[in-house]
Amino acid sequence: MTAITSVKDLRLKFPGVESLLFKDFSLSIEKGEKVLIVGPSGSGKSTLLQVLTGLIPNSVEIPMKADQISIPDSWGFLFQDPDTQFCMPYVDEELAFVLENLQVPQEKMKHYMIQYLTQVGLSFDDIHTNIQTLSGGMKQRLAIASVLALEPDVLFLDEPTAMLDPDGTQEVWETIKEIGEDKTLIIVEHKIEHIVDFVDRVIILGENGKIIADGTTQEIFKNYKTTLIEQGIWYPTVWEDYLKAINKPTPIVNSIKDGKPAVSLANFSGFRRREKKIDIKEQNFYPGEWITIVGKNGAGKSTLLHAMMNLIKTKGSYYIFNQDYRKIDSLTDYLTFVFQNPEFQFVTNSVYEEVAYTLRIEKWSEKRIDKRVEELLGIFNLTNVKQNHPYQLSMGQKRRLSVAAAIVKEQPILLLDEPTFGQDAKNTFTVLEQLENLRKLGTTIIMVTHDLQITEHFATRIIEVHNGKIVEDCCPSEYLYKSTDKLVNVN
Amino acid sequence: MEFNFSFQETWLHKTNPSLKFIIIVFLFICMLFVHNINFLINFMLGTLLLYLFFTGHPWKRLILISIPFLLIFLTSSTSMIFFGKGDTTWLKWGLVHITEESFIRGVHLGFRGIVFAALGIIFALTTRPVYLFYSLMQQLKLKPKYAYSFMAAFRLIPIMLEELLTLRYALKVRGVKNQRGVKGFYQKIKHYSIPMLAQSIRRAHRIAVAMEAKRFSVATNRTFYYQIGFTKYDLLFIFYFLALFGLSFATTAYFPYLPIEDVRYNG
Repeated sequence: MTAITSVKDLRLKFPGVESLLFKDFSLSIEKGEKVLIVGPSGSGKSTLLQVLTGLIPNSVEIPMKADQISIPDSWGFLFQDPDTQFCMPYVDEELAFVLENLQVPQEKMKHYMIQYLTQVGLSFDDIHTNIQTLSGGMKQRLAIASVLALEPDVLFLDEPTAMLDPDGTQEVWETIKEIGEDKTLIIVEHKIEHIVDFVDRVIILGENGKIIADGTTQEIFKNYKTTLIEQGIWYPTVWEDYLKAINKPTPIVNSIKDGKPAVSLANFSGFRRREKKIDIKEQNFYPGEWITIVGKNGAGKSTLLHAMMNLIKTKGSYYIFNQDYRKIDSLTDYLTFVFQNPEFQFVTNSVYEEVAYTLRIEKWSEKRIDKRVEELLGIFNLTNVKQNHPYQLSMGQKRRLSVAAAIVKEQPILLLDEPTFGQDAKNTFTVLEQLENLRKLGTTIIMVTHDLQITEHFATRIIEVHNGKIVEDCCPSEYLYKSTDKLVNVN
Repeated sequence: MEFNFSFQETWLHKTNPSLKFIIIVFLFICMLFVHNINFLINFMLGTLLLYLFFTGHPWKRLILISIPFLLIFLTSSTSMIFFGKGDTTWLKWGLVHITEESFIRGVHLGFRGIVFAALGIIFALTTRPVYLFYSLMQQLKLKPKYAYSFMAAFRLIPIMLEELLTLRYALKVRGVKNQRGVKGFYQKIKHYSIPMLAQSIRRAHRIAVAMEAKRFSVATNRTFYYQIGFTKYDLLFIFYFLALFGLSFATTAYFPYLPIEDVRYNG
């Protein structure tokens, strides 16, 4: 068999970084192979894909040298972020952009557009549809359609589902499997449960662009499990192994029966642009509870958190430890919030200052601040980067810092909006464990998530939101039983 | 966040964007040399007619947009009314000296501001950026490199607005208080601009790479999905302004509102 793409003795270095990212790196991929590349962040997975397509150095100027490099004749590239793949506002215009680049005559364009859209399972009444109105999964499928217009032999996929919810992930991988049958696929991904049976070769990259392992799927999962765990890869049985390793008991709450609720809502509703987006009849949250809020995109999960944080207009009764929220001067004494994108929460120039920020507003003494900040930095494993700028941290560090900065004041109620989104397994478990410790100390945790595994193993209660209303409120085991039941009924 | 910005398509939408652009710039320049207030009033009525009845946007939106018009009118006219030169004094109070001449001249300036604003808004309300850039590429040979960069940037605006809202929430949650004065302003700029810039630079870089991955290149020729040419509506557009010029001249000559031919002060 012949190699469809290969590189020999690649040396590559990012400007401003001390060491080489790749040093004498060689790889060859044969026609028709379905290759999965995994590795920790910073191992150069995405960079490797861009080198193999010639995007580096042709489009992205990064100093590199290789003894020999062969780029496939026709290739397509699917990127991670659905919002930064398109340069035009409408579905037809975006597809037209690719067809124009290929100099397809204008009168044939409509025909091709429909053809490619059908291939990825998208159909519109009018293909002049605004891309912003599509769901994440649909956007990624549209991106696949425009990649198909290039008629590629080789598809490069750079974590195409990292930003999608479970439904979107499912539909995108199904589409890829369908269209990729006869193509060479090179996939970078760390959530791999959907594609494990589909790929036939797995490559594990280590820190600094070294190949740790390269072999068939079965071989790798048999022999390199510890490596996968160390690198935080979401391999299929990661949860089972994790739970076994730490021997986690089912979480129990002690305070519900005797204790007073931390939050109690009645006829409480939240508005966006004068429209009622969330409506709660009656609901109590108790100290020591971990409540996960689940539901489809746009159901009103985040809106509920925003309403409780008083970021949007609200109506109805809302008591925090028996006090009317309107009479509380500053809600942030009781509640704190962790956003999905940690970068938005950073307001200072160093990790240390970031954690100290809230305490300085509270006018704590310098000595007390120092003690508390050092303590938290220790717990969240950030001590050795405490002088860095928050933006210089890795994904996992940023997430941990945003949680540390949020809980510094030890507020009794913690709201989180998909805090584990886009994190690798290792980081996810670290954050979850820290939250679990807080919960045991009596913090009420209210968390929006799509991840049913978290719900099953960490939550004490589940709330499902649908169309702005709570449709389910029960304990996790009961919920999972019911939802599998629903699935069986549907099938 | 979604913006509902629907409108009815009118003949103004169907005129060639490049042509519309050139004509409007030309009219801007012409207006600078109009000193007869009678002519300007007529011309203003003609442009307002287009603005109010032919842009295809709902009344509520048109009225909302016209609030800044009024502001332009007030600011550009009052300073001339209060402080301009003139002989026939109406009122004198300290520095303020209102004369008949300065009043007329001020109003004239205000009207000119309104004409400028109306023409600009008519263009903005009836031209889709995508069509404008396609037309600029086809009729005025704008390089695709620039055209597509602008179009990609337009796509990012709603995403950035949404981000701004999240950022505002996040700062509120962190307890960032608005300080007053210059320092507070500086703090605010810093808190908003750094995260926004960081996100935007990253995003722009990603889009650029994605565009090149779709074989966008400067060197090759390209076909166009939208073939934008000239239609009868372009003639209508040209004819409308020619007629407006003619009519304005005629009424100025035969039925002047004010017996003034040149508002400039020659004393």
